[in-house]
Amino acid sequence: MSVTRSGKIRSLVLTLAMLPLAALSSQAHAQFIHPKIKSKETTIRTVVVLPAKVNIVRDSMKGPEGMAAESDELSGRVEKMVTEVLSKEKNVTTQNPPAAGQESQPNYNVAAFQSKFDDLLPKIMKKRSDVKTGRFSMGDEVLNLNLEKSTDAIVFIRGEGKKLTGGKTAFTLLVGGAPAYLTLRIGIVDARTGDVLVYTDPTFAGDPTTAVDRLRKALKDGLKKLPMVNSQ
Amino acid sequence: MFLHPARKVLITALCLCVGYSSVIPVTVGQKKTAPVEATPPPLREEFKFGDVDLEVLEQSDLLDAKLERDGLVLHDEKADAYVRRIGQALIPKGLELERVTWKFRVVRDPQANAFAMPNGSIYITTGLISLVDNESQLAAIIAHELTHVMRRHTYMHNRSNRKKYLTMNIMAAVGAYAPGGIVGAVIMVVTTVAPFIVAATMYGYGRDLEREADLKGVDMMISAEYSPEEMVNVMKLLDKDIEGENIRLFYNDHPSLDERIKYLSSYLGARADRVTQQMELNRERAAYFNEMQSLMRHDLQLAVNATRFRSAVYLAERLVDFHADSENLFWLAEAYRTLGPRAPQLTEKELTNSAMKEYAKKRLKRTLEEEERELLATADGRSNWERHQQKAEELYQRALNAENPVPVAHRGLGMLYEKLGRTNDAANEYQKYIELSPSAFDRERIQRRIETLRRN
Repeated sequence: MSVTRSGKIRSLVLTLAMLPLAALSSQAHAQFIHPKIKSKETTIRTVVVLPAKVNIVRDSMKGPEGMAAESDELSGRVEKMVTEVLSKEKNVTTQNPPAAGQESQPNYNVAAFQSKFDDLLPKIMKKRSDVKTGRFSMGDEVLNLNLEKSTDAIVFIRGEGKKLTGGKTAFTLLVGGAPAYLTLRIGIVDARTGDVLVYTDPTFAGDPTTAVDRLRKALKDGLKKLPMVNSQ
Repeated sequence: MFLHPARKVLITALCLCVGYSSVIPVTVGQKKTAPVEATPPPLREEFKFGDVDLEVLEQSDLLDAKLERDGLVLHDEKADAYVRRIGQALIPKGLELERVTWKFRVVRDPQANAFAMPNGSIYITTGLISLVDNESQLAAIIAHELTHVMRRHTYMHNRSNRKKYLTMNIMAAVGAYAPGGIVGAVIMVVTTVAPFIVAATMYGYGRDLEREADLKGVDMMISAEYSPEEMVNVMKLLDKDIEGENIRLFYNDHPSLDERIKYLSSYLGARADRVTQQMELNRERAAYFNEMQSLMRHDLQLAVNATRFRSAVYLAERLVDFHADSENLFWLAEAYRTLGPRAPQLTEKELTNSAMKEYAKKRLKRTLEEEERELLATADGRSNWERHQQKAEELYQRALNAENPVPVAHRGLGMLYEKLGRTNDAANEYQKYIELSPSAFDRERIQRRIETLRRN
């Protein structure tokens, strides 16, 4: 009798352990497009990709530990890969973001917009489908970034992920728990009006620091609905 | 506050910093501890670095660089020099600490906060610098943070946390493979809730360290000729919850600041009797505002950007009280214009824990425009809006009539008139602004607004 009960608990534990995986896969390709893009009133031909902010932690038996260097490296890789996917798959040209350098003011400006997006992001995440109704906007303040006139949109990239240590991986297999993963949240914002034109949150299960191909595939799938620019 | 701007970086940084919990009122607790007799920090200590500590140190260095790269560190020579001077005055002479290089930096964040990295980087937000009244109060904050570094609190805290996490993991394993029954189920539940329990014990552990930092901070203040009473005064200032953010969680639902003020007051005792001339000078409000005025204006812009409109009004009023020049009047006008239909102060009812939690939830759902629309649908909201727009208009006009008027007041008036539907007036004010500031960074935005207004 007690063996049966123990078995039931174990299967419950296994089911619980599988839930995060199921959740990850079900969300993997969620993407939402503004009606202006669908109706072709606005076409994204040229974008500026702002520095990505991807944070990953190493989850060990002794708790999560920061991975600042790896997070920086991954941020750079994600940024580069988004540029690559937009260019190769969608024919979108990428321009350089406002120069970050010795001068404080341009850095402050970019920081202000990154913050503004961070403020808006939880609201978008709460009801992502509202991007399709054009509910979210960063306002015409985006013009203060003083981008080139030909820039159609600004790309914001956020992400969070977890890498498991060997011990924690074994522990997760035995006991259950969330696997290693990476979730990205990408917003493409109209460079003239500030409207959120595209929101997508590609996700994959696996070590975020090494799964390069999975990252590329997740990005390709995540931007699938964005119309391709005609080369003419 | 599942938080604000560029704050993810800050939060990550703060996870490493015991100091974070130091100045935020909600994190201090009621846990009763025996009276601690503070002694000056030792000039040399016996701390032995392990691999885990070196990892924390490395992460701190990387976070320093990240804060800088992300444009979160303020570069204002005057403010930097001022904060550095206070910090250097507080560090005990002859103090040698392994792997510590003192750096004093200002973070561009309108929320009042300060934190210390174990590598010796002390960060103070523009929000905190704008909130305090004098140099001694700022010294109180810095002394507190310095103690966290000197006493190696971050390393100790990190070591303790790691042990707690390991225990939780072992408990989970035992629970999953126990013969079943209620014990296993309970442990599974405990593990699910573990982060909260671990956090609770962490906060408990942190309280002793905070207390130590407060008391040793007082000693350092006295040595550097800062009036120690200002440590208590700064606590009282931090108790001011202008934005209704001090939500208490289940593990710290107690009057924490009262406790802190009490033990500090009793510790001060006769120590506060000795008053030197320098101590009096360091308490001068006007001298402090004179040094920090430019930083305070920078913080006002950050507060408005972060939709902290009530804080913006409060801080701008302080600036105008100090010196009603054109620029300060402009900032007060901006604060009132953006405050819009909100009341300038939260009511007692709005400051109850449940009301604050409810508002925090709403903030995550509603956009700023939706919040304003909802408020404007109420009689109170409409009356606030009318009053604040009138006040803003009057202040913009005063700013323009003052000596050396700032052109940006025309932009403010333009925005105000645009919202009021006075399109011609709005376009004219915008036009004046770009004529007077041809190289303004927002010229394109304003030019487009003029075109749109003239088209309609």
